[in-house]
Amino acid sequence: MNKIRNATTMQWMIFSILALCCITTLIFVNHNYSFYDRPIAEVVDTTMEEAIDVTDLHGNEDTLFIQNITAVLKNSEEKGQQIHLNNKYSTSGAYDQQYRIGNELFVSIDSKTDGDLAGTITDVKRDKYVLVVAWIFIFTLILVGHKQGLLAIASFVINVLLLSFALDIYVNYSNVSLLLVCGICILLFTAISLLLVSGFNEKTYAAIAATLIATAASLSVTALVIWLTSGNGLRYEEMQFLTRPYHTVFMAGLFIGSLGAIMDVAITMSSSIFALYERDRDISIKALRASGIGIGKDIMGTITSILFFAYISGSIPMLILYLKNASPVGFALSMNLSLELARALAGGIGIVLTIPIGLYTAIFFIERKRARV
Amino acid sequence: MNALVWLAGILLVLMVIVGGKSGARSFFSLFLNFGVIFFTMFFMLDPSANPILITFIASTLIGCISLFYINEVNSKTTIAFISTMITIVIVLSFIVFVSQKLMIQGFGEEEEEAIAGLSLYIGVNFMKIGASVIIMSTIGAIMDVAISIASTMHEVCRHNPAISRKELFKTGISIGRDILGTDTNTLFFAFFGGYLALLIWFKDLEYSIGEIINSKIFSSEMILILCAGMGIALVIPIASWINANYLVRRREKS
Repeated sequence: MNKIRNATTMQWMIFSILALCCITTLIFVNHNYSFYDRPIAEVVDTTMEEAIDVTDLHGNEDTLFIQNITAVLKNSEEKGQQIHLNNKYSTSGAYDQQYRIGNELFVSIDSKTDGDLAGTITDVKRDKYVLVVAWIFIFTLILVGHKQGLLAIASFVINVLLLSFALDIYVNYSNVSLLLVCGICILLFTAISLLLVSGFNEKTYAAIAATLIATAASLSVTALVIWLTSGNGLRYEEMQFLTRPYHTVFMAGLFIGSLGAIMDVAITMSSSIFALYERDRDISIKALRASGIGIGKDIMGTITSILFFAYISGSIPMLILYLKNASPVGFALSMNLSLELARALAGGIGIVLTIPIGLYTAIFFIERKRARV
Repeated sequence: MNALVWLAGILLVLMVIVGGKSGARSFFSLFLNFGVIFFTMFFMLDPSANPILITFIASTLIGCISLFYINEVNSKTTIAFISTMITIVIVLSFIVFVSQKLMIQGFGEEEEEAIAGLSLYIGVNFMKIGASVIIMSTIGAIMDVAISIASTMHEVCRHNPAISRKELFKTGISIGRDILGTDTNTLFFAFFGGYLALLIWFKDLEYSIGEIINSKIFSSEMILILCAGMGIALVIPIASWINANYLVRRREKS
């Protein structure tokens, strides 16, 4: 009884701390205008100037709208003054959008003629909504998952901070190799995520060992294939946001990307093998191997398809843009999908390799345990 | 030889070695799913079609392939299918609402170089396409949770026929909690890996935190990750509730 009461007090404490954080951050983000260097303005009035029907070179029809916007500045020296802005947007909205009363925009002030400000819109202030969605996410995970939900969030936050710190090191010291940084990161990510998910015990250690071996194995297979084919069929030129050598960035991303799936398989394998062992301490290695392969078969398909969907879907908008611009289908696909497909396939190879590796690592740990007893 | 063909070949061989017949079937279903995504995209090219509706049809097809083809049509897969679809409808409406507020459709200024020279006024609705992309990225994970809960709850009910509805529901939730951590992890890392280049870009160009959070590309990535996590969490109570009700009703009938 006492234990239950303690648990609920603990829960209440965590819940009130979270609620307090939620309210403070929401208040902060609604009043943080002075923390931004860029001027922010809130739209108070919009009028439609004109609507033009356009047809582009490839026969695509769209409508362009020109919008006159009056907004009130929320920070900077001109705080409280009105500013006039122009906005051009299309119905498709690939690179533009309609603004409505109440939207908050980043603007640059261009001219000032006797108290009349004019400017251009540079971006939208999105922090408010990102924060709201983040809190909805946190509360959903905690309400459904309780402790596991909280741990999932904790491991997410820790991993993000770790990655950001590691990239800081990589960016600031030119002689540090990205693959080395990512190697260390993979080590830490694996240890932290798996320990948080299933605690300090043999089963976790077996999963950590299996993850690292499988990651190394699938790294070698993929690197070997790419080296042997000299990257034939991979269109690096379509890789975005490049400030660094593309090949290393791609390889590093590939490994971090499949790490989650490999960990998933490794922990599933090792916990089911250990569960079988706990139930029957004298179970034969042969029986363990048979059940292990059975479990592996069941999860192999679903986890590979998780990765497939996560990677492939992301390229849909760009593909649509290409195809609408009359690119040949083959060209559009190879430009936009080759790297994503390579990621998904390499991840799949990692997942399948993890099944036997995870199985034998778990058996190895169990044998060691038996020998000790 | 093409690196992709090699990788696909290696994957097929490994899947057959490890999984035998069911391995080959998993590989084939990847192909089918790829085909579905491909066709979905072609239907989205038509400006008069509603991408949300297309996504819903595509999700149904993907669900049929991954659940009914890989396993078979039985009460487990049917319930998993229904719970997946209900979750998708809820998450989809949430995403549509959020992306309208956030204005995260289309391409960000960081992608300017990639879209330079392409005509952007192409008449399709990028807001809705963005929402579809988020759903399609998550559907694999949502189905995974739904089928795991359904099959374990059926097992529990078979071994322990006298179990009450409440107990069954609780079992479902606790199975779900165990998968929650690992499945969210799988997706988080997949997205991190895909956007490693973007993160390095932000660091190299010394974006301030304010600039990163407000940029279109970062906030759309965040929404993708957060909505994926929410989808995985939401399917747990939905699948547990449907399973518990179905199993109890089936017992009462017999």
